[in-house]
Amino acid sequence: MKIDTNENLLVNVSVMGSVCQPNFQSLPAEPYRLDSNGSPFLLPSWGSIVHNVSVGDSAFGWEADCIHPGVSIKYPNEAGNRGLNILSCVGNDATIMSGEAKNAKGVVTGKSGRFSEQVILHFPKKIREKISINDKILIKSIGVGLKIKNFEDVFCKSLSPKLFNQMKIQNKNNKMVIPVTHIIPEHLIGAGSGLTSESGSLHIQTTDSSEMKKYKLNNLKLGNIIYIENYDSSYQHGFLRNAWAIGIIGQTNGPRAGYGPGITILMSSKKNNAKPKLDSRANIVNYIKFIK
Amino acid sequence: MISNIKTNENKLIKMSIGGYVTQPSFKNPGYIPNNDGQSVIFPGMFGVVNNVKVGDRAFGWAGDHIEPGVSIDSEQINEHFALHYLVCTGNKAIIRSGGAKGKVGIVTGEHARNLIHFDNKTLEQICVGDQIDILAHGRGLKLLDFPEIEIKKIDPNLLKSMKLKIINKKLIVDVVIELPIKIMGSGAELNSEYVDQDLMSGDRELMKKLKIDQMKLGDLIVINHADHKWGRSFKKNHVSIAICIHGDSVMTGHGPGIMTIMTGNKKYLGWNISKNANLKKILKIKI
Repeated sequence: MKIDTNENLLVNVSVMGSVCQPNFQSLPAEPYRLDSNGSPFLLPSWGSIVHNVSVGDSAFGWEADCIHPGVSIKYPNEAGNRGLNILSCVGNDATIMSGEAKNAKGVVTGKSGRFSEQVILHFPKKIREKISINDKILIKSIGVGLKIKNFEDVFCKSLSPKLFNQMKIQNKNNKMVIPVTHIIPEHLIGAGSGLTSESGSLHIQTTDSSEMKKYKLNNLKLGNIIYIENYDSSYQHGFLRNAWAIGIIGQTNGPRAGYGPGITILMSSKKNNAKPKLDSRANIVNYIKFIK
Repeated sequence: MISNIKTNENKLIKMSIGGYVTQPSFKNPGYIPNNDGQSVIFPGMFGVVNNVKVGDRAFGWAGDHIEPGVSIDSEQINEHFALHYLVCTGNKAIIRSGGAKGKVGIVTGEHARNLIHFDNKTLEQICVGDQIDILAHGRGLKLLDFPEIEIKKIDPNLLKSMKLKIINKKLIVDVVIELPIKIMGSGAELNSEYVDQDLMSGDRELMKKLKIDQMKLGDLIVINHADHKWGRSFKKNHVSIAICIHGDSVMTGHGPGIMTIMTGNKKYLGWNISKNANLKKILKIKI
């Protein structure tokens, strides 16, 4: 059975961000971070325009620490950036408003968490060299306030109606059946727990290689839709038996303990009212038309 | 050049990072002390140096710490450090604003600012403050058959263009000159991911005797008994390969700067002297 929403009541608001720079701590701080074994590493991290990684690519294997695929943006002041972060929804349309790539169209694919707080967008690879640091990008945000008919206990987060309508979710015996690529047990959720679920990211823990194998997490791709067991992101992120959350893989794995691939939460409920259905095609690249 | 040298290039991130053309700056009253304690004043650092380029001599100019070509930086301190930790020599640079907008250059090294080469015609159109984005690519680069050798801040294409040989399972890199470890000076106080280290050119007779005073900007050099993996220190039987990136200095403890690109145990890393080992030739830089 098809599922209806209150899509026609949602407000469409423009929010702006500028293409942001990578940042490192100043001297005398060492530039190195520590991997989960305590060894120092120095690798590219979040932010900026990433020319060679896109949604649909592997979330593992890169010489990187939680890299954002495509383009990352931020608003210069904190309150405005909070507006950008909360209102932007995965699947929203974005347009470049200045510079050589002006008028190019993109799509919101994720958000990043505490310490970076950026919105992650896909733009075609061939135009990325034309995009400049500081270029302005406007998102027509729509999705905050989204409600699902007959599932009023489900909280939608950072979820555009456009993506929701393509996720092939069905109502079977009053349970939402949601196609996902992976089911992630709650004990493998790391950084992000305890923080707000209206923006930011949660990270899968990838230090224990046997658990990675057990749950087949090594083949996670950027853009995959995943299901988290016993996890409640209705208001903030935290453990709760029988609760569930759905998210999208927004950024890659990293070497730090507790910082595996990042998840932007899309839906969550305290009630036992959803069932994941494994489907390897449950990735945003198969739901929304992307120009590669 | 080794056609089959194995790297992890396909795992590296290519990421944009922006900087701004700097203005030559002095601390009042502008003088610096030379080796004899005299106050002198010289141009060379910051900004656009129109007539000194990679491939030109490092000694003999009426300048101090000359940064060839265009020097860029960001006034935001955390962006400044990102520029230093992510930008690699050989990276592509694109001018984003001003009269030279859209023109492409190449990163030739790193001093207190990132140094970029542009052709003469482009230099004339560049203004202080213009934004230049660099496609940072190379951080994390590894030689898969030489895990003991650390590579620092070179574009994978620069590595492929360098003259390398493997002899008895040891990587041999072409360099112009060997510098004795005892003349390595300013920069020892910094982590080896940041800027450069000056050779100390104060002993002018030794510079002449060892022909160090003939060094050119862009020369690949080697320092024996230098370990630059986690800092810059003396360590027997460790080898560091570097690029000469800025010109000579009159200050005690200073001199031309070298920026590390490879470091490792002598068991795995060696060198061969060749006067062709200069960035101008390796990167086929056009003036």
